[in-house]
Amino acid sequence: MTRTIDRRTFLKAAAATGIVVACGGDQGAPAGGGGTAKGTISGTVTVSYPDEAGLKPKYVQLAADGLRAKYSGVDVKIDHQKIGSGDFYTKLLLALNAGDVPDVIHVGGDKIGELADAGHIEPLDGYLKQWEDWSKVYPDAVKSGVTYQGKVWAIPYGLDTRFLFYRKDVLDKAGVGATWTGPKNVDDILEVAKAVKSKVAGVIPYALYAGPAGDSGTANHAFIPLLWAYGGDLQKDGKWIGDSPALRKVLDYYGRTYRQDLSPKEILTTAKPWTAMREKLGLKGELALLFEGAWNYGGWVTKDKAATERNVGYALFPTATGGPSFTIGGPGTAWYVTAKSKNKDAAWEFVKAFNTKEIVAKLNIEDPHPVARTDSAEVAEFKADKYLVDSTESLKKARFVPPDANFGKVIGVIQKATARVATGEMSADDAAKRYTDELRQAVGADKVITQ
Amino acid sequence: MIPGGGGAAAPARPVPRDALRRQAPYLFGLAPAAILLAAFFVGPALWAAYASLTNTALVGIDAARPRFVGLANYERLLGDPDFANVIRNSVVFVVGSAVVGQFVLGLSLALLIDHAERRGYRLATLAYAAVLLAWVNPTVIAGFLWVAMFDFYNGSLNTGLALAGAGPVDWLGQFPMLSVVIANTWRGAAFTMLIFLGALKTIPSDIYEAARVDGANAWRRFWDHTLPSLRPIGALALLSITMSTFGTFILIQTLTNGGPGTQTEVIALYAFHEAFRSYAIGYGSAIAVVMLLINFAFAIVYLRWSRARA
Repeated sequence: MTRTIDRRTFLKAAAATGIVVACGGDQGAPAGGGGTAKGTISGTVTVSYPDEAGLKPKYVQLAADGLRAKYSGVDVKIDHQKIGSGDFYTKLLLALNAGDVPDVIHVGGDKIGELADAGHIEPLDGYLKQWEDWSKVYPDAVKSGVTYQGKVWAIPYGLDTRFLFYRKDVLDKAGVGATWTGPKNVDDILEVAKAVKSKVAGVIPYALYAGPAGDSGTANHAFIPLLWAYGGDLQKDGKWIGDSPALRKVLDYYGRTYRQDLSPKEILTTAKPWTAMREKLGLKGELALLFEGAWNYGGWVTKDKAATERNVGYALFPTATGGPSFTIGGPGTAWYVTAKSKNKDAAWEFVKAFNTKEIVAKLNIEDPHPVARTDSAEVAEFKADKYLVDSTESLKKARFVPPDANFGKVIGVIQKATARVATGEMSADDAAKRYTDELRQAVGADKVITQ
Repeated sequence: MIPGGGGAAAPARPVPRDALRRQAPYLFGLAPAAILLAAFFVGPALWAAYASLTNTALVGIDAARPRFVGLANYERLLGDPDFANVIRNSVVFVVGSAVVGQFVLGLSLALLIDHAERRGYRLATLAYAAVLLAWVNPTVIAGFLWVAMFDFYNGSLNTGLALAGAGPVDWLGQFPMLSVVIANTWRGAAFTMLIFLGALKTIPSDIYEAARVDGANAWRRFWDHTLPSLRPIGALALLSITMSTFGTFILIQTLTNGGPGTQTEVIALYAFHEAFRSYAIGYGSAIAVVMLLINFAFAIVYLRWSRARA
């Protein structure tokens, strides 16, 4: 019940702020930031975004209301699509290609490079000069996450971080101990998985995403953290790294995991395998270990807060040698203005209206992500939530994949290599060689090196 | 359209306007089909052929400035180690689920149901309806029905095995191709059955009477009379299911999405994945064009075969 009251109070507060801002506009005061085209902002803004979970619509509505209140001539058309973000992206690309262009789009920050190169999105630097929040409350790490070729392309609000989630109750039964706080090194993950496999019936020990079915999770939630754990990297001096000792170790880790049936083969054939895996770990206790997006915790807490806090533990990812644990961060999903939008000024105003201190704080409390704005982290309710604080804290130990137009293609190569080893079709060493060949094919031979 | 019409007109060499006037009703009648085919088949096929000669993409620099690349996509396809695998998968899938599965099962079902109907068995209609049900389902639903069957944890097959004290078996992981072949056979057998049932009804029963009088047994009657009467329609059915199976991918996409690895990646799915997962429209189009050519080859072979024997 408290939640409802909170929201209502919040809506009132937001409406009040909206009115204040609107009054400010009427008086022609220069404060508030819009700037250049202030008087001329009118017309319709189409905002297109996907959301299956249904957490975002009320905040999008709030931003739209705020914008309408501020500019009487502006109308906002909201195109909320109840589909997954992957399907939305494909649909969006086809629409953009056909010239059917929404003004504002909501897409993962990892797509910046390929969208910018394709000429689908608009750089925001001109607007950012007029928006003092950008220099005041957005940390440099956030800014660099959305900067590509020297320009800023999107405004993120909730950042991505990942945890190795584990079931305390299952590990207790497996004899690992209820006080386990995380693996010492990567092999330790497999040791714990083996203990679960031999001692706890009916529980999947570990889920290691592989193959195309794992989508970008194969890269972000499995392959890349492992590559970093073994001391390797994706890129060096702007070139993609093909075969390397670290790559072979990662693929060998895949081989060991799947040969011993520690991770289920269904991951290779099920569409969206993460749906089942997240549920099995967080809600059902049928999966013991899973490295996944930190945001999933929110869904589990909403269903059963007490059980989640009692049974689900979370840790950073270990290295191969027991060095300091780390995680993989990302700009999360972000708002973009399209390059072919006929109403860019108003589109930008919508992006601004969404990325207020209050909306950013509230949405990320509900859908737990570290906030992109530092002032949103100061909101009392955010500070009171231990999980959110831990998530935010984890970003200090996070590494990021720099925005690159070829990242999507490289993910495809990663998917193929991991699947080849997981199915037993190839040895780790053969798959590593093939990885180099396919990387060359995907991004161009001149952009690939081996180590 | 009338073969004689063209031949008769040729020696007289009438002014084209007359010929046009004479053919006008036919042209008028054909126009809607021709327009629809042009708009939804010939047009896109030509576009795909053109796109396959470019590096068109949905993302990245190639999306902003697509270039004409000649036969580069085809060269890449020939050197693509996955492609040989994909072709092999396609052949296994088509032979397994269309030629053997749907064709043989469809023919057997048609013979059984025809036989049952001639004898007046009431359950024949029920069997007929059951087979048809598999076919009237949208492919995606058929796919999910089989997902529910094959699922490792909660699938019907493994639940059944557990009751018998056996299993569980990872059907889609261990027998991916067999699983999709079975699912597609189940789904498509009704089409062949319908066609053969129709054909069986056209065989006059006095032929069988005469054969029986001559002392031919059931097998002989089937071999000498039923089968030859079914041959032309059989060729047509085979052509139709081969081509549609070759081009299908939704069922596989729902069941395994080409996995594990590339073990059930067939050519149509590969084209789809390249175009809409890697967003390489040019390369995806090249695969689609190759697929079209293979289908043309099938069509020619089957049509010749049916004409020669008919």
